[in-house]
Amino acid sequence: MPPNNAGTAESTPAIDLAAYRAELNAWLDANHERLAPRYDPPGTIDDQVAQMQRVKSILFEAGWMQRGWPERVGGSGGPPMLRTELGAALAARDLADPGLFSLIEVLAPTLIDFAPPELAADAVPRLLSGAELWCQGFSEPDSGSDLASLRCRAAPEGGNADTATNWIINGQKVWTSLAQFSDRCVLLTRTGPADSRHRGITAFFVDMDSPGITVAPLEMLNGVLEFAEVFFEDVVVPAERMLGELNGGWAVAMDILPYERSSCFWQRIAFLYGRLQRLVELAPDGDRFAEIVGEAYIQLHALRARSRATQHRLAATGTIGAETSIDKVLVATAEQTIYDAVRRLLPGVIEIDGSASGELWRNEYLYSRASTIYGGTAEVQRNIIARRLLDLGSEG
Amino acid sequence: MIEASERAAMLESVRGAIASAGDDVGTALAEVGWLEMLDAEPDDAIEIVFSAIGAANATASVLDDVVVSALGREPRADLAVVLPSFASWQPPGRIEAPEVAGQGLATARANGAAEVLVVCGTASEPSLVGLPSSAISVESARGVDPSAAVRVVRVHGSASNPAPVDPGAWSAAVGRGRRAVAYEIAGACRAMLDLARNHALERVQFDRPIARFQAVRHRLAEALVAVESLEAALAAARDVPTAETAALAKAVAGRSAHTVARHCQQVLGGIGFTTEHAFHRYLKRTIALEGVFGSADEIVVDVGRRLLSERRVPTLVEL
Ligand SMILES: Cc1cc2nc3c(=O)[nH]c(=O)nc-3n(C[C@H](O)[C@H](O)[C@H](O)COP(=O)(O)OP(=O)(O)OC[C@H]3O[C@@H](n4cnc5c(N)ncnc54)[C@H](O)[C@@H]3O)c2cc1C
Repeated sequence: MPPNNAGTAESTPAIDLAAYRAELNAWLDANHERLAPRYDPPGTIDDQVAQMQRVKSILFEAGWMQRGWPERVGGSGGPPMLRTELGAALAARDLADPGLFSLIEVLAPTLIDFAPPELAADAVPRLLSGAELWCQGFSEPDSGSDLASLRCRAAPEGGNADTATNWIINGQKVWTSLAQFSDRCVLLTRTGPADSRHRGITAFFVDMDSPGITVAPLEMLNGVLEFAEVFFEDVVVPAERMLGELNGGWAVAMDILPYERSSCFWQRIAFLYGRLQRLVELAPDGDRFAEIVGEAYIQLHALRARSRATQHRLAATGTIGAETSIDKVLVATAEQTIYDAVRRLLPGVIEIDGSASGELWRNEYLYSRASTIYGGTAEVQRNIIARRLLDLGSEG
Repeated sequence: MIEASERAAMLESVRGAIASAGDDVGTALAEVGWLEMLDAEPDDAIEIVFSAIGAANATASVLDDVVVSALGREPRADLAVVLPSFASWQPPGRIEAPEVAGQGLATARANGAAEVLVVCGTASEPSLVGLPSSAISVESARGVDPSAAVRVVRVHGSASNPAPVDPGAWSAAVGRGRRAVAYEIAGACRAMLDLARNHALERVQFDRPIARFQAVRHRLAEALVAVESLEAALAAARDVPTAETAALAKAVAGRSAHTVARHCQQVLGGIGFTTEHAFHRYLKRTIALEGVFGSADEIVVDVGRRLLSERRVPTLVEL
């Protein structure tokens, strides 16, 4: 357990979440004009990023972005579920892409839990206010599911890890979402021997404008340039930018799980309800279609029920763990089921509709194919379930 | 909602009663206070008793009590009820004055009960008739489930004094009945998974326990995901007890039971295909229960029709 857990340790006494939700929704209704995208969705990735940052800045100014974050990083306190409610409301209203917006939940807690306090206090408000974007540099060309094999190296300048004021980074990351838009990166590097696996990894908070960093955007199969390859050539990073302990990077990486598997999922679920809503507005009547819609709905409901229980357990006990692999399987499966339903109920839309609406469904349909890949593949989740939850012993 | 410690004690006494009951599980449950529990804490009582029945593959006619109490009557061991027909959730009876006729499902209690309740009419205008058990004939007690936990019955009696029923009470009876059956299915699913897991750890092929093969592990993982999503849907139906959440829980029960049974059966191989092994009884029970208070297929279509006609997708549960 990290020292200053951003998720729970500071949870204030229970607040009336329903009242908060009502207040939030009333405010979002009243400010709809200001918040709504200025383009015809889906827009380009540049449009979407600009929209998200604009929405964040408006919400920060009005005090919403700070709710649920600790005061020592510029938040206004309260339970983390307040952030979850905000993200879910934005996703349900299509004001910000949930995948991009919920990156906050993947990155800010890492800083809060592992950065030197001054660094966290300085950096987190910039992320919340929309002044900055950050990215997560974990995966490498030869290290996907097997993250512990990563090779991007950080070496102490001058050779002595105890006295070095700088670290020098060399190597490559890949599939780094939003790297080309990002101001900083939470980066995992190899600091131990080549075969030290999870014992020899260290995390750094790296400025993306550091000399020696090259970002090469990669086109996803839906045509969007959302992620990138990132190359590091003798990049100098000050020692104060180390997150957590030297060779303690695995704990940093694992600490993300409770946030990703609670808040991020709830936001994604809110978004999926919104998409199913849009689908039933457009879908033809008939029992064949009713069956497809009904099937998607019961899956989504079971997922929502599961995720709700997970978040309440996190709030009550302060931790969640391997059991959230079940949430991950359900979220990935439900997302693909919903977009499969779109494809079946709106024939021709994903395939050959050139309008903005066709473009949106097509983008999202194609993106949904990745839900069983990112954040730990479907197979990796099943491995974890078998090993950790069913206690089947080791494989092979 | 009762305290966790009290709940654990209740669960233990219910399990114990079922385990040592022999054939008469109903009486054993009555002795540990089933009807009092149902009266005082219906949600806990239903969850604990039906999960335990499912896990033990026990047969007891306690679904009658759940429905009777939801209809606003006092449940008794000699008061039975006719359940909707297989896969349906419409009232099973119809009044063709001066007679009442109909067809539905019933537990073993309908045989020899002092009185059998039959809800007649439609879900929006239901009425209730009490008949002697001689008015109920068992059409078929043979089906997939060797213990014949539910059988097909025909109703033929005289419709003296039908009493109107509040449509809300019928809807509550369906909702509670669905949750009860879904808990029983969940208990059976857990049991199937336990059987398959133990088998995987014990069965050696190619010089190692089959649990070491990834294909086997993934099937069991898939089964666990299905069981836990059913349990989550049941918890949501309990926290937000509406007709919709109960219907969805019952639909998830059908889908999950299918998934769990399929994977567990495969992992069990040949032994799971024999009546020597316990697996078949759980499989058959879940197949039979699928039709009680509406099958997943029927509920899914019904829910989908409503989403399409209202053009609205309600979230049902909040954080
Ligand atoms: C849209 C998108 C956004 C992403 N964003 C980021 C980001 O911002 N930052 C970041 O660091 N990464 C990001 N990723 C990378 C992502 O984390 C990896 O793609 C993922 O971890 C899988 O790694 P891989 O692609 O190398 O696949 P591999 O690990 O090579 O897997 C290929 C196949 O083999 C299977 N497999 C692998 N190991 C096993 C095993 N032990 N048992 C059974 N099957 C196995 C996998 O399940 C998969 O089906 C993103 C990916 C996508 C698609």
